[in-house]
Amino acid sequence: MSLRSLVGRKNGGKVLLMGNEAIAWGAVEGGVSVAAGYPGTPSSEIIDSLAEVAKEYNIYVEWSTNEKVALEVALAASYCKLRSMTSMKHVGLNVAHDSFMTAAHIGARGGFIVVSCDDPGAWSSQNEQDNRYIAMQAYVPVFEPYTPDEAKKMMIYAFQYSEDYGQPVMLRSTTRVSHATSEVELGAVHRLERKPVWEKRPDLLVYDSAGARRNRVEMVKRFERIVNEVDKVPFNKLMVVDGSKKGIVASGLAYGYVKEALNLLNLDGKVSLLKLGMTYPISKGLVKNLLENVEELLIVEELEPIAENIIKAYAADQGFRIRFHGKDLIPLIGELTTKPVLQALTKFLGVESPIDYDEVSRLSEAAARLPPTRPPVLCPGCPHRASYFSLKKVATRVANNPKRFGLEQVFGESTSPIYPGDIGCYGLAYLPPFKAIDLAISMGGGLGFANGLAHIVKAPIVVSIGDSTFFHAGIPALINAVHHKARLVVVILDNDVTAMTGEQPTPGSAVDALGQPAPRVMLEDLAKGCGVSYVQVVDPSDFKRSQEVLEEALKVDGPAVVIFRRPCELVRTREMRRQGVLPEPYTVDQAKCTKCMICITSFGCPAIYKQGNLIQIDPTLCTGCGDCAQICPHNAFVQALVKTA
Amino acid sequence: MQTSVERFDVLIAGVGGQGTILASRIIGRAAVIAGLKVRGSELLGMSQRGGAVYSHIRFGTKVEAPIIPEGTAHILLSFEPSEGLRYLHYLSKNSLILVNTKPIIPQTVSSGLSKYPELEHITQHYRSYATTIMLDATALAIQAGNPIATNSVMIGAMVGSGRFPLSTEVMLQAVEESVRKSLFEVNKKAFYLGFEKVKQILESEGKADVAL
Repeated sequence: MSLRSLVGRKNGGKVLLMGNEAIAWGAVEGGVSVAAGYPGTPSSEIIDSLAEVAKEYNIYVEWSTNEKVALEVALAASYCKLRSMTSMKHVGLNVAHDSFMTAAHIGARGGFIVVSCDDPGAWSSQNEQDNRYIAMQAYVPVFEPYTPDEAKKMMIYAFQYSEDYGQPVMLRSTTRVSHATSEVELGAVHRLERKPVWEKRPDLLVYDSAGARRNRVEMVKRFERIVNEVDKVPFNKLMVVDGSKKGIVASGLAYGYVKEALNLLNLDGKVSLLKLGMTYPISKGLVKNLLENVEELLIVEELEPIAENIIKAYAADQGFRIRFHGKDLIPLIGELTTKPVLQALTKFLGVESPIDYDEVSRLSEAAARLPPTRPPVLCPGCPHRASYFSLKKVATRVANNPKRFGLEQVFGESTSPIYPGDIGCYGLAYLPPFKAIDLAISMGGGLGFANGLAHIVKAPIVVSIGDSTFFHAGIPALINAVHHKARLVVVILDNDVTAMTGEQPTPGSAVDALGQPAPRVMLEDLAKGCGVSYVQVVDPSDFKRSQEVLEEALKVDGPAVVIFRRPCELVRTREMRRQGVLPEPYTVDQAKCTKCMICITSFGCPAIYKQGNLIQIDPTLCTGCGDCAQICPHNAFVQALVKTA
Repeated sequence: MQTSVERFDVLIAGVGGQGTILASRIIGRAAVIAGLKVRGSELLGMSQRGGAVYSHIRFGTKVEAPIIPEGTAHILLSFEPSEGLRYLHYLSKNSLILVNTKPIIPQTVSSGLSKYPELEHITQHYRSYATTIMLDATALAIQAGNPIATNSVMIGAMVGSGRFPLSTEVMLQAVEESVRKSLFEVNKKAFYLGFEKVKQILESEGKADVAL
């Protein structure tokens, strides 16, 4: 649902929202003035949604170049006494970590929320790190909603809370909150007519060692007050059941699974239960009350045993003799669901499971093996497909026979290319038919890794990195390559957007987050400015020119930059539809098709498939890009609707 | 509008781009209109690029978690014949399975890396698990005027089965709130084509009485 449709809705009504929409709407109701972020699943829709209503509510919203810049933009606004927020995926906070730590020392003057969207199960991430640890390291309190509705309420509360205690706060969401849906109760939109106040305070903002020591003292004091008053936070809830000697602590989202499992066991309301909505610091008063009433306690939390360790330490400190369970019964790895929680509860409570999971597995496993593998693929018409077709062809040709290209001194007699890659849709090129991504470790990591390879291996190194990723974290590594004469071909895949997360604009786009005209930062200017001598821009659909350029680039002694520029096909076709133009799909001229299979085994457009013995094109998938007509050696692909002059 | 439901769980399986997310939003919105608590979960991001996708959508006074507990789902909507087979562990013997019979052949099959099962074989697996209705929802959507309305055919079929607790009126209101204005008539037509088709199948199989 677009947040625009909520503008002017009356209070008290309920709507269905996705978690990220609810977080954004909570920020609107809570009086946010500045919001900045960098796209990353599962966080992207927060800034997307705020951008939709930014003008209506006079909010400054931007997609920043990376998470560190985004956090600094929000920090500046908080320092100037405006309510501000930044949102990012969990690994984005690693990028922003440096300034995050210092922000916690400076404190919050306007309410300051860092929304960290973690990804237990690593559905679309390189790891499943638990950002509660980063918050703890920084003395930043953590709110963890278990539904979109609670996320909205927490955002409103957290702005005021951050202001009251003068400390930034974290709202930690996860995939199953950000990309979950629930009914959300709409409240009053609370707009603050604040004037930003800049105050010259080097004592607070200049981090010489005296400042760092002094501000740490202040930060620790603020946190002591937070700990002392944590029992007042409303999102924690304790229900003590008289006579039950067993209790459960459910942290954040785990509360949903615990309640669900208790319902299935018909035990809801029969076991003592502490719900934690603020997961750091943990309410000592509620924990104490629970510990006084139980002999055995199960702590249910996703990923790391953080609440478990805190509560165990507290119990030891207070002299409680309790039998604890946590990660001995609850998985450490992957996201939680009701099943592992219910299985833990049956062991903990000594009851029978109402569901025979062995039987369920026995009946379903054979069927689950039947469907064909269906990995995500580059979209039909995706410019990356053309780029990788040429890149792989040329790199392999040069590596197989360097002598033919006068490169035997550099690459030896025969070798294989190495393809460091990066984070983005093009990461899918690690799969067949291309297999032209050998590593994708972190934003910009492929280019940094390649800097190391260049000095130790004798092989053509072709690095691919997307436009948005290059702006985000590629530039320092490119400068490094220039200064240290690293022999690399750096292919920048410029499709004008951050495509994988939903086509957000990049600094190279002609529009900003709100769709307003914005100055374009040109990748070729950046590359030249970094000192790269060979820089070419080419449309990947021009296969002939693309391959010439790649061959030239491989001959350069030092870094060479090839920018493949063509807009994301999703954006192009959406724009076409908006103008009422329909794509003109291609079809196969069966008389010309020799079934050589190049289109399937070397190109792999999902619109092209083999049925029986024939190659066919699915007209509902084909976007009419025409790339297949160029790679087919037999000219068998023709446009279905042949236009006459 | 208040409906009394403790817990009702629908799992939707399909391929990225088929409109499974919109379908789950329509069901979720209908439940909000009916005054119920809603919990759902979707897979977004990388998985939408032609990969296998699913949505969980749940409503009722006792739903708490965003994901359906295994072994308890009420209805499985499989937008593609083989896709639902991945998720049978979410179902029980009392579940209802509705399957669109129009396959989407992935590249892995074209290039020989993987095999597409026979429709008959697929059907057997579903039927051995729970009550199953197979229908060509894509053909019905084309009949309604646009293949994009396949999700409305599937939703209509679900309501037509008599096993879904929310009313036709509420569901159509949710469809109207969820699709572009210009596409509502096509979707409404698609909804009724699915609705009628299922009634017809159940009658011809003499199973109308299994409803509820």
